[in-house]
Amino acid sequence: MAVDPAALTTDQLNTFITSRLVLSGIDLSLLPTAPDPTTGAPTQAQVLSSLRSFVLSNPVAINAWRPRPPADTVDATVLSQELSPPLEYPSITEAWTGEATGR
Amino acid sequence: MTDRELNRRVFLSRSAAAAAGAAALTTMPAWVGPASAEASPTKRPPNVPDVDVRPAAKADPTEATVAEAITLLRRRRLTAVDLVEAHLDRITKFDSAYQAFNAVTADSARAQARTADRSSGGVLNGIPLCIKDNYYTAGVTTTANSFIFASFVPPYDATSVARLKAAGGIVIGKGQMGPLATTRATTPNGTITTVNAWTPGTPSIDPGGSSTGPACSVAGRMATSSIGTQTGGSIVNPSNQQNLTGLKPTMGRTSIYGVIPLSYTRDHSGPLARDALDAAIMMTIMAGPDRNDPRILGLPDVPDLITAAVPVRRRGTVVLRRPTTIGVPPDYLTGVSAAVVALRSGFLDTLDGIPGATVVHVGYPGDWSLMTGTFNNVRLSERTEPFLPFLKQDPKLFGVSLLSWLQGLFLSGDEWITGQRAKNHLLREVLDGVMSSCDVLLQTGPVPFDILGLPELGFPIGFAAIGAEPKVPSGTILGGRPYEEDRLLEVVAAYQAVTSWHTQRPADPVLPAAGARRAAAPDAEPLRLTPEQAAALSA
Repeated sequence: MAVDPAALTTDQLNTFITSRLVLSGIDLSLLPTAPDPTTGAPTQAQVLSSLRSFVLSNPVAINAWRPRPPADTVDATVLSQELSPPLEYPSITEAWTGEATGR
Repeated sequence: MTDRELNRRVFLSRSAAAAAGAAALTTMPAWVGPASAEASPTKRPPNVPDVDVRPAAKADPTEATVAEAITLLRRRRLTAVDLVEAHLDRITKFDSAYQAFNAVTADSARAQARTADRSSGGVLNGIPLCIKDNYYTAGVTTTANSFIFASFVPPYDATSVARLKAAGGIVIGKGQMGPLATTRATTPNGTITTVNAWTPGTPSIDPGGSSTGPACSVAGRMATSSIGTQTGGSIVNPSNQQNLTGLKPTMGRTSIYGVIPLSYTRDHSGPLARDALDAAIMMTIMAGPDRNDPRILGLPDVPDLITAAVPVRRRGTVVLRRPTTIGVPPDYLTGVSAAVVALRSGFLDTLDGIPGATVVHVGYPGDWSLMTGTFNNVRLSERTEPFLPFLKQDPKLFGVSLLSWLQGLFLSGDEWITGQRAKNHLLREVLDGVMSSCDVLLQTGPVPFDILGLPELGFPIGFAAIGAEPKVPSGTILGGRPYEEDRLLEVVAAYQAVTSWHTQRPADPVLPAAGARRAAAPDAEPLRLTPEQAAALSA
């Protein structure tokens, strides 16, 4: 891999996270800086810690996956585009395509 | 399929997307949209056969299953008023210990019971039901245990609620739940509320979530049956934990119109009931097309679920209605306690002894843990989107549950699409691979079939000790092919005909003496979930 997500610093991740929150209109400063038993909401530090962990693990694992043609396929990356077209509702599609018997 | 049929579906899907976008901008509690749910799909009322009523149910109507109560009411051995009053009496006595209800609608329940006794009504005429507090109930506060909905009074009933009421069902109250349908039931700040009805003195024992209150209400004999929702196990898990039979149908079998969303492509509605027949009765009433939920139009007809849930006997021996091969996955007898392994082994032996049942061992594909683990998180963007206005307003409104709503912002659109590809990939791995040699498949967790929208039926297989608690229910989950809920019910009906786990009820909770605090650990601080725990446990 030409770039390594693990090399991102805490400051870089915090900047990314806070910027993304701002772009979505979410004000992190509305959250407490110390535990708040009344609302149970996480502190600002807890949010940053949790989201740093999330962004370092989930996007990488998801965007690294591709449907795989058989192992000896030439141009496998190209042909992977044709495999497993996205389905929001797999079971419903199974009925629409006549695969579900639905007796 | 004709071009015209296809175009209609595309049109309906786009209309739904537009409506969802508009709804997201609506400020609570103002309402724009269809005026009411569709209460009566165009189908004949279900035919529920009379059943043999157990002596316990004759002696105490709160012991009765739905089918038993229907039989007693038909035979005029029971009135709706007596049935409802018996449940209200238990709520009054015991819900301070169980904390199963957010609201008890005693006055309207009594009024409806009096009406039911004067009319022939529908198939559920006079049956008291607990409704999870994320279903819209007209005129009754619907909080989803969230600060966001604390004062929300819906203008109409959710479709499932409307159908149950149209069939004569009586809403006796709203069941507690994890905030916004995430974890076991807690207050919005994470303080644990509803307990497991089998272990009311030990709140730390998992009662299952997020349909915790509905499960507890039925297990604790405060409602004859209930409905919940499932996005990540929230019907089958509390059913397993509290000795109930819960049916999470195929995506599209039931409408989720009027249900507060968690993850739109994964939210299912279904019953948490006392046995397979009760689950079938409830599902038969709930299921079917709803013009307000375009996803569920044009799908296979609802099969005869009630007949499927009536056990078949040949020469006095219980047999499966159809020969059925039951798949056992490689992790079914590992990764759980020795006591649960013993229960599962005994369950497999019992199942294998029923004529018509064949138990086979099946394997998982190599990427199973990736597809059902990390890829499970693709759902998080779906919970963020409808709630973005509230995140902008004040993230504290999400209380202890906030983190998973923020996580959804950190998956990009292309990653979400990759997640939808993975669903298709996993579907084929399951249907053409894992299930190629079986008709139904035992599950070691609900998530894979939640991702795919495939049906699951959770049911009891015995009891095991946990810590100082000698008798905690243990259940298992059976999964099926799309729209084959009937096959699941056939298997479980036969199993329940040769076992009696599902007929057992918990002892009443020991109430604190007057002036005392909680019965258990009176000086202990109430248990609370942390934000990190809420995110990790979230449906």
